[in-house]
Amino acid sequence: MDSATVQLSRQKQHKKEILCFVIGSVLLCALFLISLFIGKYPFTIEGLLSGNERQWLIFKMLRLSRSIVGVIGGFALGVAGYIFQTVFRNPLASPDIIGVASGASAGAAFGILFFSTSLMVTACAFGGAFLAVVFTLLLASIDRSGKNSTVVLAGIAVHALAQTILMCLKLIADPEKELASIEYWIMGSLNGINSNSIKFNILLIAISLVLLFVFHRKAVILASDEGEAKMLGLNVNATRLIVLLLSTVAVASVVSMAGLISFVGLVAPHIAKRLIKNNSIATMFMCGILGSILLESADIFARSAAQTELPVSVFTSIIGVPFLVFIILKGGLKHE
Amino acid sequence: MKKFLALILVSAMLFAVGCNSVTGTSETSEITQEPTTETSSSETTAEITPIDNKVTSYPVTITDQAGREVVIEEEPKNLVSGYYITSSLFIALGIEDRMVGIESSPEKRPIYALSRPELLELPQVGSQKKFDFEACVALEPDLVVLPKKLSDVAEQLEALGIDAILVNPENEEGLIETINIISVATNSQKEADKLLTFIDGVKSTLKQSLSDVDPVSLYLGGNSSFLSTAASGMYQSDMIALAGGKNVGDEINDTYWVDVSYEQILAWNPQYIILASNAEYTVEDILNDKSLQLCDAVKNGKVYKLPSDAEAWDSPIPSCILGSLWIASVLYPDSISEEDCNKIIEEYYETFYGFSYSSIKQAEAA
Repeated sequence: MDSATVQLSRQKQHKKEILCFVIGSVLLCALFLISLFIGKYPFTIEGLLSGNERQWLIFKMLRLSRSIVGVIGGFALGVAGYIFQTVFRNPLASPDIIGVASGASAGAAFGILFFSTSLMVTACAFGGAFLAVVFTLLLASIDRSGKNSTVVLAGIAVHALAQTILMCLKLIADPEKELASIEYWIMGSLNGINSNSIKFNILLIAISLVLLFVFHRKAVILASDEGEAKMLGLNVNATRLIVLLLSTVAVASVVSMAGLISFVGLVAPHIAKRLIKNNSIATMFMCGILGSILLESADIFARSAAQTELPVSVFTSIIGVPFLVFIILKGGLKHE
Repeated sequence: MKKFLALILVSAMLFAVGCNSVTGTSETSEITQEPTTETSSSETTAEITPIDNKVTSYPVTITDQAGREVVIEEEPKNLVSGYYITSSLFIALGIEDRMVGIESSPEKRPIYALSRPELLELPQVGSQKKFDFEACVALEPDLVVLPKKLSDVAEQLEALGIDAILVNPENEEGLIETINIISVATNSQKEADKLLTFIDGVKSTLKQSLSDVDPVSLYLGGNSSFLSTAASGMYQSDMIALAGGKNVGDEINDTYWVDVSYEQILAWNPQYIILASNAEYTVEDILNDKSLQLCDAVKNGKVYKLPSDAEAWDSPIPSCILGSLWIASVLYPDSISEEDCNKIIEEYYETFYGFSYSSIKQAEAA
């Protein structure tokens, strides 16, 4: 292959990638707009345009907040998923590999049992997730060689511990009241979100996402051989700590608002990596867009498919699985 | 070719997912529809055992609420109740002194301590979720009364020669049937008659007093979360209808608690909000909930919580009619005054449970 054809195919690839971005962004905007007009409260365009105060207040407080959380939450989950898969060089890695999800579940269960106000449940879930990750990284730091596998092992230990705590909390929970709340929390839902309760979480997500994009190159170097990373002058342990903690803050902020949302963080990076190759920052951004698309469309179904509210994770999987299968088959099942 | 294969696989996958979700929903509806299928067995019970003669002559054949036929050879001396509803019923029927075992965690229900504290000392036989078979058999009971969900336990007990009756008081009809079945089995039909007459009396009082009121809309906040409410097929919906209210959750066809959104509640815009007896959250939580500030009930301060001082009236227990009465007195104080309501509640607990309800309220206030 001469250099001209390589150049040509690169250009072709580049065009394709730009097209993916455009399609993804347009789709996301469309979904966001659609989601603003799907739900249980009968908003009318005339009512909103004519400045009906009641409609506007409800629209801003509930509908808009929920749609924004769908977009930003999905983005954060997608990006965090990419970071974890990259840093651990493991296509199955997700924030739970270092105990985020199980820590958050145990924290939420604790909040439901002992405080029961939604604000405290959110705070406890966040605290649980963060504690679990800090504990994992502390455990891993005992091993001075700083291998990735040590972090994964420590994560497994903390995950098991958090699951045990969760089980004990479930055991003492009242089966008709608290246990049901815990189970519903674990299934995840954007129901109950309002503009007052999300400001702090959204701010945390935004800060950690910006920093993750700033640090993205270092995360990619982490993905290479550890010896190589050290040769490139990277403090492996410190960088990994920062990148993982930032992703944890992002994921914990989403999870503490909306409960566990499965599959977004796992599937978005796989699809993004197949659409956009050899460009870490673009791939990372695409992960975010795909995560947003997935979560926003899943939430549209969760709030409108039945007369009642359904758990959002049901739909993230239903939408995500066929999409992933399609992408894999289209790629011809070839190994990356 | 590859594209074609991809298409087939994706559609197969979608189909499988679709099937799963379809079977998923049909399963839940099967479970939740149980109460309606039960009504047929109740008619047969009435035919087999006429309860006019007021005294049970043993042996007696009983068809329980799972449709099983149970032959009771002689009046059962040792009773076990594995269900809080029947334990409370045993007290109302005056047969609690024959109890040798009770369901788990009776201390969580204040009615026992108020009425018969000695029941708290009885050996516990577990709950619907986890029945302690050995503990139950060790008590050598003559008759064990269990919720319908424990039908396999009933089979095992029967194999050991211990009579077991399954009850399913999921709604008012089911409760009345439960009262009839238990009273025939334990020879306490006179007391059951008294109880049923009382319930009927309150019911007709409600009907008369509320004949000309305009139904007000009401949202019932569930036990586990304010964003769960009673759908049309639930006992709680009947309770509200009997109190002359209109349950906004009736729009949803289901037979259990369903999850709704703030948006949905604001779209319904109920005039009243009533919280379930065992709700974990308080009236203040709801009044201070920023998402609900535009709801009429919150704006006008019409948020109340069903009392839980003696029993949770929003479950199908013998005293459940008091739940309707209490709600009616909240919704229509001009038709049913608080005073009248308290008088009836007082009479109920004096007559059937032997304690004064007003005195515990006073003790609480003090």
